[in-house]
Amino acid sequence: MSGFGRELWFLWRDRAAKVWLLIGFAAAGLAVVFGLMEIAAQRETIERLKTADEIERAVTTEAHREDWGSAAYYTFHLSYDAPEAFAFAALGQRDASPWKHRIRMLALEGQIHETDAANPDFALIGRFDFAFVAAMIAPLILIMLLHDLRSGERASGRYNLLSATSADARMLWLSRAAWRVGALAFVLLVPLWIAGFVSGAGAPKLLGASLALLAHLLFWWAVIACVNTRTWTSTVNLTTLIGLWLAFAVVAPAAIKAGVDAAIEVPEGGDIMLTQREAVNDAWDLPQEATMKPFVERHPDMAPYAAIEGTFEWKWYYAFQQVGDQIAEPLSIAYREGRARRDALASRLTWLSPPAKLERALQRLASTDATAALQYEDEVRAFHAELRAYFYPPMFRGEPVTDAMLAERPNFE
Amino acid sequence: MTAALEAINLSVERSKQTVLKDVTFGVAPGEVYALLGGNGAGKSTALLTFLGLLTPKSGTIRVQGRSVSDDLTAARRVTAYLPEAATLYEHLSAHENLAYFLSLAKAATDRAALDRALDRVALQPEARDKRLGSYSKGMRQKVAIALALLRDTPILLLDEPTSGLDPIAIDEFNTLVRSLADDDRAILMVTHDVYGACQVADRIGLLRKGELVGGFDRPAEGRIDTEAVHAAFAGRAVA
Repeated sequence: MSGFGRELWFLWRDRAAKVWLLIGFAAAGLAVVFGLMEIAAQRETIERLKTADEIERAVTTEAHREDWGSAAYYTFHLSYDAPEAFAFAALGQRDASPWKHRIRMLALEGQIHETDAANPDFALIGRFDFAFVAAMIAPLILIMLLHDLRSGERASGRYNLLSATSADARMLWLSRAAWRVGALAFVLLVPLWIAGFVSGAGAPKLLGASLALLAHLLFWWAVIACVNTRTWTSTVNLTTLIGLWLAFAVVAPAAIKAGVDAAIEVPEGGDIMLTQREAVNDAWDLPQEATMKPFVERHPDMAPYAAIEGTFEWKWYYAFQQVGDQIAEPLSIAYREGRARRDALASRLTWLSPPAKLERALQRLASTDATAALQYEDEVRAFHAELRAYFYPPMFRGEPVTDAMLAERPNFE
Repeated sequence: MTAALEAINLSVERSKQTVLKDVTFGVAPGEVYALLGGNGAGKSTALLTFLGLLTPKSGTIRVQGRSVSDDLTAARRVTAYLPEAATLYEHLSAHENLAYFLSLAKAATDRAALDRALDRVALQPEARDKRLGSYSKGMRQKVAIALALLRDTPILLLDEPTSGLDPIAIDEFNTLVRSLADDDRAILMVTHDVYGACQVADRIGLLRKGELVGGFDRPAEGRIDTEAVHAAFAGRAVA
């Protein structure tokens, strides 16, 4: 038996270790299957909505082409953030932040934030995805595999014999631990790579995720090795390590989140929605000039057509929708900037919590982090601005609706 | 002749308690030296210090003339150790245990050599591929003794080696130890078995509370006087 293969053979004969590795494999396998199913469901939802959206738009366009105001009012536009191929591994913010909207050319901010609601089921520990398994469960399995590496031998009276017999005792413990760490990494990564190839995630992302996981396991190996240098019993080792796991994986992320939330104030999405909707509702009771003046300031090219002659005109209606957004704009900017600053600060502070750091790294690779969520919101805003740029000129100029013009209506891509 | 094992003015502390005090003795090749003493006398501490698993507070430990602290690897290479009630891996068979531990020691071996060693300790052939979990205490001890034999080192350190063996197995073991010594091996055995020590040892050192308080040499003919050793062990004068 060669020295290299000896500890692999020994690991293979260790029933308890095999059970823990099997648990790791099952957890990673289930997590990637759940992730693939969730992403497939999201893609299917998007495709279904796209089809329904096309049908509905065709119907409403045909039914409401008497003027541009009606055409804009009755038509919904689907926007969506399609998941990346690697998103199955880390669903991230897709649980908490919306990834699809049906928007109209009304005030936008309320439409963006009307679905803002934290899911209490996922708020604490997140969904059971690969990121969760890698960040939270993998350290626990590694602790179970390594906590009694020496103390177990001491308790059974073999430690001295092993030390005295081994030609290089340090290599014995190192190789015994290394095979366990390697085996755990293997059983976690095999499902990830299989799922990655199935979903079409590129090798660079899979490699990046693998390296992040290995770095995480190496951190925990170092922690466990430090504890194992003490001549404590296996029970004391296990208790200490579970305590450290709680500190790094649960307490530290919660403290970081609480600290970041306290340090950087961010308006609630609900406040933005309320501010915008109150502004729109109030506009019905205000003199029309009170709406048109701030609107024209933002759209001077519409000034020649800004006069309102009747009690209701679509251009006045859409102007106060836009002014509603303008009034909510400071809050909206504060919201976006605040979330970005919170994200940046959390990114720095999560060095104190390697499990949280790993989750963030995987979410970045999967484009399911806060940055991706904010980017999608910005894409929705940009699309909505496109809609306004398309509808305002013919609407304000009172031009008739034509097929040629309708064919140029923007689509969210 | 250069002693294979030497303890010179050796003092060792464990948990801030002095366990060995100024102990000096040596074991020559071909000699069986028994350190005899009651529980807590410091016998096992002496063995663990020779293995480099404990560090002396003062004094010197030498293996084949070289300080253990200077070259621990060399000391362990020439030393086989049989711990008290050796607990090998219960989920492995006798063959697998031996192969594993010999691989640790980088000692080349084959299955035939394993069987020869197991024959020598009289472990039943039908038991050799069964897990040690199904073995009696004596059978496990035999496997551990086979391991010490297979190491084929010039020095053997035996910690209560007959613990758990039945009387017949003890006699067989003592005969085996004598034959190993006759092959020019230096054997340091720690035990509280007065009869066994007298049966097999060339010299006996009596440890009490960490101090070497007496010694007995085998006469030119016969064995060390069991009665005299027993009396000294019990702390009374011989009639």
